[in-house]
Amino acid sequence: MTALSHRKGHALRLNQVSAGTELIFHIILGLFAACCILPFIFVVIISFSAESSIKTIGYSFVPAQWSLEAYRQVFKLGDQLWLSYFNSFFITIVGTVVSVAICVLYAYPLFRKDFKLRGFFTFFSFFTMIFGGGLIPTYIVCKNLLGMSNNYAALIVPMLVNPFNIIIMRTFFQTSVPFDLIEAATIDGSGEYSTLTRVILPIVKPGIATVALLTALAYWNEWFLCLLYITDRHLYPLQYLLMEMQRNAEFISRNSSVMGAASAEAVRNLPNQTMRMAVVVFIVLPIACAYPFFQRYVVAGLTIGSVKG
Amino acid sequence: MKKLLALVLAAMLALSIVPAMAEDAVEITILLEGNNVTDDAPVLEKLNPYLAEKIGVTIKPVWGTWANFDDLALNAVTSGSDEYDIMFTCSWTKNEYAKYAKAGAYVRLDDPEDDLLAEYGAALKDTLPELLFEGAMTEGPDGEKGVYAVPGFKDFATMNCWDVNVTLLEKYGYTLEDVQKAGFYGWDEIFAKVKAGEEADGSVFYPFVFEGAVVERFVDNTPIVTGDSGLLLSYIMNADDVSQPGPYGNVFVNKYATDEFKAFAAQMKKYYDAGYIDPAIAIGETATDTWRNAQNTANYLISSEVSLYGYEYTTSAARGIQVAYIMTHSDPYIDNTSVQGAMMAISANSDAPEACMKFLNLLNTDPYVMTLLNYGVEGVHYNLNDQGEAEFTDARANSYTVWTNGVGNVTLLPPTKGQGADFQQRFAEFYGGAKKLPIYGFTFDASKVNKEIAAVANIKEAYALTLCTGAAADVDATLAEMLQKMDEAGMQKIVDEANAQLEAFLSGK
Repeated sequence: MTALSHRKGHALRLNQVSAGTELIFHIILGLFAACCILPFIFVVIISFSAESSIKTIGYSFVPAQWSLEAYRQVFKLGDQLWLSYFNSFFITIVGTVVSVAICVLYAYPLFRKDFKLRGFFTFFSFFTMIFGGGLIPTYIVCKNLLGMSNNYAALIVPMLVNPFNIIIMRTFFQTSVPFDLIEAATIDGSGEYSTLTRVILPIVKPGIATVALLTALAYWNEWFLCLLYITDRHLYPLQYLLMEMQRNAEFISRNSSVMGAASAEAVRNLPNQTMRMAVVVFIVLPIACAYPFFQRYVVAGLTIGSVKG
Repeated sequence: MKKLLALVLAAMLALSIVPAMAEDAVEITILLEGNNVTDDAPVLEKLNPYLAEKIGVTIKPVWGTWANFDDLALNAVTSGSDEYDIMFTCSWTKNEYAKYAKAGAYVRLDDPEDDLLAEYGAALKDTLPELLFEGAMTEGPDGEKGVYAVPGFKDFATMNCWDVNVTLLEKYGYTLEDVQKAGFYGWDEIFAKVKAGEEADGSVFYPFVFEGAVVERFVDNTPIVTGDSGLLLSYIMNADDVSQPGPYGNVFVNKYATDEFKAFAAQMKKYYDAGYIDPAIAIGETATDTWRNAQNTANYLISSEVSLYGYEYTTSAARGIQVAYIMTHSDPYIDNTSVQGAMMAISANSDAPEACMKFLNLLNTDPYVMTLLNYGVEGVHYNLNDQGEAEFTDARANSYTVWTNGVGNVTLLPPTKGQGADFQQRFAEFYGGAKKLPIYGFTFDASKVNKEIAAVANIKEAYALTLCTGAAADVDATLAEMLQKMDEAGMQKIVDEANAQLEAFLSGK
């Protein structure tokens, strides 16, 4: 690389590109970043718009009138809002910790070449990625057999084992942990568990962070499990609270031809557009705050290794 | 130490007996739909002791919402769980009464061998109009027709109406009669004058606002055919007397192949091209919102509504204008769809069907029970004014909003504010005068032509809304194209099958 840049020219430092190229890259990446952030900014603006403004000029970056009404309405949800907030955090934290532990403990043996049932267990998890039982059998097993109905378990257990994450984790083990390291640890007298916890885990932290981020996101955004198994409002996570508002509106709009006047009546009782956007803001903020924390490890994972040279 | 332990154990034993003695009432779980209830404790505190004393039953409601409307019942039925004793059911959306009754999910209420209705529901049978039970007849798992759910006593007859903004109409010197006399095919002049007048200040005004997927029924007088999930069949009814056979007789036709539809689509095209119709009405995603928005902001002249008795008072008050409804047919008509719109079924897996029937009987005959469950607690969720009308409080809006029609006999409820003290009496009389369609009682069994229905319904989805809203560029060509594709997908087979079933039904009547 050094030789290459020397041959090409004069002042360019290592890894440096010409100013023109850099400008183009900046524009491309800037546009990409804008594509990601703009919808969210739009949501925030809509949540601060007056409902009358939406009725007259539609969604706009510059609403005809600003209003805090949506947030006032969200706070009117009262206990339900904070309860749902708690549920979301509880499910995400417990779910992520347990799920990541299972993932690591499952993936580690699969990476060990000296594990005899490796092939079988790889297939055992991989198989479920291709063939599922289908919604109704899954539902019956979870509800009738495992008793997951109207409890936290119903929101956590069905998502605990994720074969995709196991494969990511196994691959991460394979690429970042040299087998020599395990041999070295064994020679130094380390047992299996202490090898895993003291030698391997510190190296694969970035991998764990990646899987944890994926899992946390999945738990935070999950609402379908709640739709299936929960009827008790005290267990609603925040996501489902929003989803319920959205689905309420969709259902009534879809069936208004049959419901007739009753649908107009029902529509009047529904939260309006701006309020739904305000709830979105409530949902996105915490997880957006969690991102930079995980990102540190993800970036670190690209540069850190155990055996140098 | 041992003594203490024995004492504690004895105390625990004694404590465990006390509630057991009080709790010899049977608890039944009820699935209700379309609600927004976060706190039912104040209601149950009053309701359960009353029920326990009266019929030895207590209830545990599960408050379904609109959001999980489709899923809760489906889950309960498919998982075969005994979670619910009583379930809400209806003939629309995925909560399909006829289908689940046939699958054996519900207890037959008028079973000749164990007639729950006769034994525990005598008062209910006397209170509800006989024709409701007639409309609730459906085929069970044994192929016999029977009543599998208690139909709700609500607005059980359909009224397809033009919703007219009278305030605006009179501003331009027209009367309701002018609108009625001119009819759907003659509103050009009124629309033109009002549009021009309202747009004088440079704004945009669309006088004609309607629900595109439905408005065709208002013009061509075609009720929904129960069991026709794709909304493909048309029975053209007699608009001058809905109880008499229609112009084509008692047969089904392909809705879109009739001359009536062609004329309707051409007229819509005229209105659309003249700028009387908001283009957003022709787009599926925005159609309903646009229509409701225009109505709620009183930003329309003529609109469409499947109305109910006394609805003009509600809408006039809510919109701040004078609203009037013009029915597009002679009388409100009774069809299975409206009768089966909200019902209560007893789950086949329930341990206590007798207790369920006792409760349903009381719910539909005892004003105290119905009002408590529906409106909430007096003084907390609503107050009665001097005229005996209910005025709802914020507590009801925030924590106890029940879908009134989804519970039972609404005529037991106190009238709401503005309806007048004798509202329920007038309501019952009004619907008592409704007329049955000649095909009343018929339910289309689509199981033999499911494949064709799916294919044709897809084609309909692609074309119908643009045709019904006048947004198609060339009506004749689009209509011809749609009809040809429908033919290829087996439309005729569906119509023939439906007609064969109808013939068998009418001859057996």
